[in-house]
Amino acid sequence: MAFEWSQYRCQETYDELFAQPGQPRPAARQLLSYLQSISAKDLADRRLAADLAIKVMGITFTVYSEGKTLDRAWPFDMIPRVIARKDWERTERGLKQRVNALNHFIQDIYGDQKIVKDKVVPAEVLVDSVNFRPQCVGVEPKFGVWAHICGSDLVRDRDGTLYVLEDNLRVPSGVSYMLENRSVIKRVWPELFETSNILPVDDYPAQLYDTLSALSPRPGDQPNVVLLTPGIYNSAYFEHAYLAQQMGIELVEGTDLFVDDDDCVYMRTIYGPKRVDVIYRRIDDLFIDPEAFRPDSILGVKGLMRAWIRGKVGLANAPGAGVADDKVIYAFVPAMIKYYLDEEPILPNVPSFLCMDQKQRKHVLANLDKLVVKPANESGGYGMLIGPRATKEEREKFRGLIESNPRNYMAQPTLSLSTAPTITDEGVEPRHLDLRPFILSRGESTYVTTGGLTRVALVKGSLVVNSSQGGGSKDTWVVDFDEDLEPKQSQGQSQGQSQAQSTGGAR
Amino acid sequence: MLSRVADNLYWFGRYLQRAENTARLINVNAILMLDLPRRMTLGWGPLIEIVGADSVFREHYEDATEEDVVRFLIADPRNPGSIQSSVYNAREILRTVRDTMPRETWERLNDLYFYVQERGEAGIPRAQRQGVLSEVINRTLLIYSVLTSNMSRDVGFQFLRIGTNLEQADMTTRILDVRSTRLGREQSGPDLSPFENIIWMSVLRSLTAYQMYRKHMKRRVNGTGVLRFLLQNREFPRSVMFCLSQVASTLPTLPENRKIERAIERIRALARDANIEALLAAEAGVPHLMDEIQIGLGEVHEALSAAYFKTD
Repeated sequence: MAFEWSQYRCQETYDELFAQPGQPRPAARQLLSYLQSISAKDLADRRLAADLAIKVMGITFTVYSEGKTLDRAWPFDMIPRVIARKDWERTERGLKQRVNALNHFIQDIYGDQKIVKDKVVPAEVLVDSVNFRPQCVGVEPKFGVWAHICGSDLVRDRDGTLYVLEDNLRVPSGVSYMLENRSVIKRVWPELFETSNILPVDDYPAQLYDTLSALSPRPGDQPNVVLLTPGIYNSAYFEHAYLAQQMGIELVEGTDLFVDDDDCVYMRTIYGPKRVDVIYRRIDDLFIDPEAFRPDSILGVKGLMRAWIRGKVGLANAPGAGVADDKVIYAFVPAMIKYYLDEEPILPNVPSFLCMDQKQRKHVLANLDKLVVKPANESGGYGMLIGPRATKEEREKFRGLIESNPRNYMAQPTLSLSTAPTITDEGVEPRHLDLRPFILSRGESTYVTTGGLTRVALVKGSLVVNSSQGGGSKDTWVVDFDEDLEPKQSQGQSQGQSQAQSTGGAR
Repeated sequence: MLSRVADNLYWFGRYLQRAENTARLINVNAILMLDLPRRMTLGWGPLIEIVGADSVFREHYEDATEEDVVRFLIADPRNPGSIQSSVYNAREILRTVRDTMPRETWERLNDLYFYVQERGEAGIPRAQRQGVLSEVINRTLLIYSVLTSNMSRDVGFQFLRIGTNLEQADMTTRILDVRSTRLGREQSGPDLSPFENIIWMSVLRSLTAYQMYRKHMKRRVNGTGVLRFLLQNREFPRSVMFCLSQVASTLPTLPENRKIERAIERIRALARDANIEALLAAEAGVPHLMDEIQIGLGEVHEALSAAYFKTD
């Protein structure tokens, strides 16, 4: 047998699939008992099939080095992560609430700044925010929505609390891997889909298309929606092409577009210029328009900001949305939820210490060996200090960095991050993971992906899940099951039950 | 259809066709070598001439030995027309236009790409060569079949067709050019006239035209027949006339096509009006006509660029 769950040791953290060693969580019971019926040979065959599927489907992420693009196969673990539907519904509500508050905040910041006047968020936080775009002041995008697509990272601590670690509001990526993981896992374990009630994820491209087309400045017509990519050298290019294909929209580069004297955006086609209504831009703010932002950008489109401000084109996400993506602003999200929505936050923040505050900074500097220190505006896991694992020199370096630019740093306690069984060279072992659901905001309604992208740190003990730094991913199952029908049994009995199910079931 | 995408689809068609044609060319030359007496050997040099890569080849290799030529044509990344480079280029293009083609195209092209990466070197020695090249051809054909079965006949498809057909017309004329040059040079090189028919037969074979030739022409293989068939036949998919008619048939779906139509018409006239017997009798008659056609193909390309591909 390939999987011997009694050998699986997970007592040191919260495990997503096991309540105790040997005792599966109810939502994972069916999966785990099925896996236990798989022989080592069968597993090896399926692993081969999965690797081949990933290679042939061309699921890759791109690393650019020495002037050549290198495609790395997407590292994928065959054991899915399972979430009970009931738990997920609460998370979903929490995410909707959070993104709703964030959109209110961005609109407020580029408008009257009431939240600052009411002293809920200090003014200096904004003054020094590198993602605040003065060009956006006074703009009111359709529905008051700025962050149409948000990817929030969720992590679970030892006690099982699910925290929001950060919100990605600029150009969040990863959703294509969520979709592709599901199609790979269907090829690998088709039997499980016959017996388990695994909620589908494939609705996302259609939902995204609806979100985008609602932004068209010319209602009534079939809008011309395009996805603007920086090109094949971008590490997320695979995703850009994938989403464009799934939505049936044009994948464009900056050179394909231009803004004419009428402030409308056009794309260059073989029939001549064609008006563009909505742009799903996967290029960072600073590069989208050399006229408004960085003049040296060759990726963007000259005049795009002008077209957007005049309401001639929809942009998702809106330029300037990143102001709320700052890790210092993050600390104020619970306050925003109360301020704008008059609600209690459903999903908690990780407790955060802001180095700009003298008292909190003192605490951070005194506890560098226990905390994780993050710069306000880096993504991809770069520029971080994981205190307990850092050398003395690294900690001293960060002490200097914090003291010279306190606004740019915040710190959080080191969370243990939950684990799930993962296939490694040393057999099946617990590995740390996070979860990135994607939230689509359209004004009248909000959509949350069913589950999201589970990223897993494949290196033993590692807490860094980013694919650029040795992370992999898992398919994420939100499973619907009737808890009343599930036998509430002791450990031994439940295993016997599972075995019986697997022999009489799909196989 | 974005101009950039149209341009890419056109080149995708060309690169894929080029990879397939090159694989066929190598395979057939190997068979030709076996049929000729050893002292008569034509060698492998003409293949380099056919693909028009003399200067690149001479930069990197001394003599046109079998191994060097085959390596250069299959697996040398420094040869922009090698099978490996063509497949690499086609894949780089498909990356940027994946959204316009059926998803399976990408999967099948990856199959081809990884095969050439992993097995290309193995195709250099004779023992494995035929097997490897046949597999390359098969995998190419599979991509065409995905496209013809699953892709809408939208304007993007038309650009693919234009690319494949222009590339084929180009290859057909190059083969005729080089092979007929050799035949006309009897006085300087070895006397090849006793083997003329074998060589014409290999011309047909490298374009998989032998069987169809027999069927259509109902006569033994000779220079007149082969030239007539490969230039003027309206039914064989690798003849110059057929390829150009294919390109012409896409034009009604495209805007601003007048100049392109005129350029195509000029080549069709050259092929149609060619006096085959007189060309064969004249010194360098065939090569001269092929040069004319090549110039014409260049004009078609220029006209396409001007009408559709320019992005500034």
